[in-house]
Amino acid sequence: MPAPASTPAPDPLDRYSRQVRFPALGEDGQRALMNSRVTLCGCGALGTVLANHLARAGVGFIRVIDRDFIETHNLQRQILFDEQDVADNLPKAEAAARKLRKINSAIEIEAVVTDIDHTNALDLMGDADLILDGTDNFETRYLINDAAVKLGKPWIFGGVIGAEGQSMTIIPGETPCLRCVIETAPPPGMTPTCETAGVLGPAVAVIASFEAVEAIKVLAGKKEALNRDLIMVDLWDWTFRQLKISGLLGKVDCPCCKHRKFEWLEGEAGSHTTALCGRNAVQVASRRPEPLKFPEMAERLRPLGEVRHNAFMLRFAADGYEFTVFPDGRAIIKGTNDIAKAKTLYAQFVGA
Amino acid sequence: MPVVRIPTPLRPQAGGLDKIEAAGATVGEVLADLGRQHPAIQERLFDGAEIRRFVNVYVNNEDVRYLDDLDTPVGEKDEVSIIPAVAGG
Repeated sequence: MPAPASTPAPDPLDRYSRQVRFPALGEDGQRALMNSRVTLCGCGALGTVLANHLARAGVGFIRVIDRDFIETHNLQRQILFDEQDVADNLPKAEAAARKLRKINSAIEIEAVVTDIDHTNALDLMGDADLILDGTDNFETRYLINDAAVKLGKPWIFGGVIGAEGQSMTIIPGETPCLRCVIETAPPPGMTPTCETAGVLGPAVAVIASFEAVEAIKVLAGKKEALNRDLIMVDLWDWTFRQLKISGLLGKVDCPCCKHRKFEWLEGEAGSHTTALCGRNAVQVASRRPEPLKFPEMAERLRPLGEVRHNAFMLRFAADGYEFTVFPDGRAIIKGTNDIAKAKTLYAQFVGA
Repeated sequence: MPVVRIPTPLRPQAGGLDKIEAAGATVGEVLADLGRQHPAIQERLFDGAEIRRFVNVYVNNEDVRYLDDLDTPVGEKDEVSIIPAVAGG
């Protein structure tokens, strides 16, 4: 009997043939993608779209970090999750990892269910070639910015509300960093959140897709093609703008990238959050540069139900939790002992 | 007259408008006129004479912080944009 013909091993590039044929990426770019590592911070609306694109594109290693569980109202826009994940009470990072492994078994996915803070940020980002923003709050984004600038690693910012969004690519030393462009986050009451102003799934997908293309350029070593502007899109009014920010590098007195003072990474800025023992409540302490404006906050929160406030506190209920907010930004959230959950609620209803 | 583009979160303080004509030859003058027309916006944009640190202002597509900040000249056909940070995701 003749020996069976040996079948050649399948070319690992075959499944990516349609993007390899895109000349600007090519085979060298694809091989670079397959040898690269990404840390994805947050796996909600932006994060699921980002993870989906990058896993399908063949990024070799993706660390998916998220502190939250999946709820039914996430399914409108968080494209990796389904009703079964909600029924199974899966953490977002774990559910995303399971889905991503089914999409592409040739890459490595690591699920990390944690709250990114100053104690773990450098560990989670230190071995990555690129850090991606899938978060929903500026507290975490400034922490990512600190870590990325300190480590000298590129990261990509994205934010969405309603039908509009922003994105920018940050290459430490070459472009302005997040704090050069957005010196400080708007205080609560001045900024809508997805919970108060709503958000459309396609708008998130557009911004996350901008981030994903930039990620592919960074990882494939095609830096010359990177976006150097602050991109602003409003898909309802149909406006698209490229705001010039490159002139800010070195011009603004940035504490982070100019003075290398990493306030979030050193735990000087940001929240100091503790569970209040035996009270089924968590205190979220977020230092604010100026006192909260309760009348404006109350007006913004009014669609959620009754909001009571005096000079010392503001109280409202949402999603079955009771929030008591103090002028300095501190809040007590009743109905949970889970610090990560409380921080999510704080970002959602009080503000970034 | 220069036009100021009002971002979505500030439109309730601007009678729902997305663009408002405001007089002035510098960014500071244009925003001051905007504040006179819509006083509720004034407080959102300024802390005393200083622009609030979380508010970014652009003339056409250029950030005024690498131009001359509030002294940046504004021409009759220029567009001044107030750009808030977008937090969600």
